[in-house]
Amino acid sequence: MIPVRIILPLLLFIFASCKFENPEERLKPQIVTTTSILADGIRNLVGDSAEVVALMPAGVDPHLYKASARDLDLLQNADLVIYHGLFLEGKMTEIFEKLEFSQVLINVSEKIPNDRLLRSGPEAHSVDPHIWFDVNLWSMAMAHAAEEIILWKPNWKTSIEKNAAVFQSKLSDLNQETAKKMEELKRSNQALITAHDAFAYFGRAYGIEVLGLQGLSTLSEPGLRDLTGLVQFIVSRKIKAVFAEQTISPKAIEAVVAGCKNQNHEIKLAGPLFTDSLGDPNGSAGTYIGMVNTNVNVIFESLKP
Amino acid sequence: MMSFDQNAFLIIFTASMISISCGLLGVFMMLRKMSMTGDAISHAVLPGIVIGFFVSGSQRGLEVIIGAGILGILATLMIDWLRRKARVQLDASIGITFTLLFAIGIILINLLAYKVDLDQECVLYGEIAYLPIDLWITGGGQNMGPRIMYLALLNLILVGGFIYLFFKELTVTSFDENFSMVIGIPAGVINLGLMSMVSYTTVSSFEAVGAILVVALLVVPPATAFLWTKKLNQLIKITIGIGIGIAILGYYLAYFFDSSIAGMVVSVAGIVFLASALYKSKLFSNRFGTSTKQESFGN
Repeated sequence: MIPVRIILPLLLFIFASCKFENPEERLKPQIVTTTSILADGIRNLVGDSAEVVALMPAGVDPHLYKASARDLDLLQNADLVIYHGLFLEGKMTEIFEKLEFSQVLINVSEKIPNDRLLRSGPEAHSVDPHIWFDVNLWSMAMAHAAEEIILWKPNWKTSIEKNAAVFQSKLSDLNQETAKKMEELKRSNQALITAHDAFAYFGRAYGIEVLGLQGLSTLSEPGLRDLTGLVQFIVSRKIKAVFAEQTISPKAIEAVVAGCKNQNHEIKLAGPLFTDSLGDPNGSAGTYIGMVNTNVNVIFESLKP
Repeated sequence: MMSFDQNAFLIIFTASMISISCGLLGVFMMLRKMSMTGDAISHAVLPGIVIGFFVSGSQRGLEVIIGAGILGILATLMIDWLRRKARVQLDASIGITFTLLFAIGIILINLLAYKVDLDQECVLYGEIAYLPIDLWITGGGQNMGPRIMYLALLNLILVGGFIYLFFKELTVTSFDENFSMVIGIPAGVINLGLMSMVSYTTVSSFEAVGAILVVALLVVPPATAFLWTKKLNQLIKITIGIGIGIAILGYYLAYFFDSSIAGMVVSVAGIVFLASALYKSKLFSNRFGTSTKQESFGN
């Protein structure tokens, strides 16, 4: 005989777990993505045939994302879940891998060749996840997503292939435009200096030197030596501007500006650049292409001779 | 339509088990004036995580959790040592210990793992909202249900068993260490046992529900219960009741407002405490407070 004091709480829990539900009729399949950047790409692929929702709203740093109570329902009721992979989602990555048991799941970065990824060590999680800064890599990820969506909904094949072709050509234009502008900056010996190490792919793809004040982890604070080293670098190379980032406090980078002033080198604090999330949906950085364009223009205008 | 929601059940059930484990330990921690040890542990585990990471080469290895657990025990031992041997005030010794260990962790990250995204936030702290889909998949590919639920159940059994077996010893050493030595209870061993349990529970629960909820569950329900009774048995019962109540209420408020579950449970706990304090202070303004244990525990 199980004692009453165990049965009672159990009954309470079961009763407490009942809720009123309005069974909703869904007209279109729902696709849930993790970041807003990813959601924008998928919207370009599926057009009007599905509703695309991002788990992390625009303006939220994926490292700082906190799940809310209904995010679980969103994930479980989604017809398709698309995530970024490469440990961008932090501890949630493990959970996504397990979601495979119950859900159709796409990891957009899984087909990116290993030698195109930047890594700080041999371990799987030491990969830099910010691949969307290299437009070429991001179009590879989007091509993979398109293939997987067609596997999931074969009768969307023609429309998705059409949308993907349009999107890919836009991305290729964007890539050329970016490369052209950065080429000019490179010739004038400028470098891109930001608050944290998010722009490594950008630097590699477009040949501009990239320096971050802060490491990848949000805990590691810039050391004094990092700061003085950076100031020396800026003064000796006559760098014109440093850049704040949208999801990071500009305090540390402001210290760099002040440090340069002390060395009689006037430097501009430009930005903020969009890094881990899109901007306001109606603003200029509300889409992936808009975000890259905004960033590139800010960088170009601030650093050009 | 009214229907049974499995996710809600799993979250409320697991959160209740964790809040009972934390509450049980919290009562004894409060009697020893060591309530903030949970908070200290949440910071002190950082060097353990970094070292575990270098042993296993992965942020997700078991070594990282073990490293965190060992540092947790080390932190509680250090707090106790500072208090006894160095004669530092208790709150100061908690402050010294966890800031020192946390600082060592930061230096280790800067020296060794500058390029790796490594901190408690992304390595150790879990998110209770995703508990139902964080499944335990056996080697054979069998789906056994939510992993955290098993961890919480194991934790509750160990904590409950420990307190049940050593109830008398824990009680006596909490109130009068010298007396316990006289009647032959090894206060040091009991203390070490309790500290290990706290450390194990906090690290295990951090992984399940995140830090803020664990720290709050260790402190707030026992403190609230203390406002209502001064008898140990009642104290434990009320703590358990509050733990279950805030889990249910917190979950539904979070669901209603579509916000963080852990945040809402902690807020509800705080409101319950404040409401109790206001009510009690009005009725018995002279007996307001949580630190008057000598007053009525003599019986």
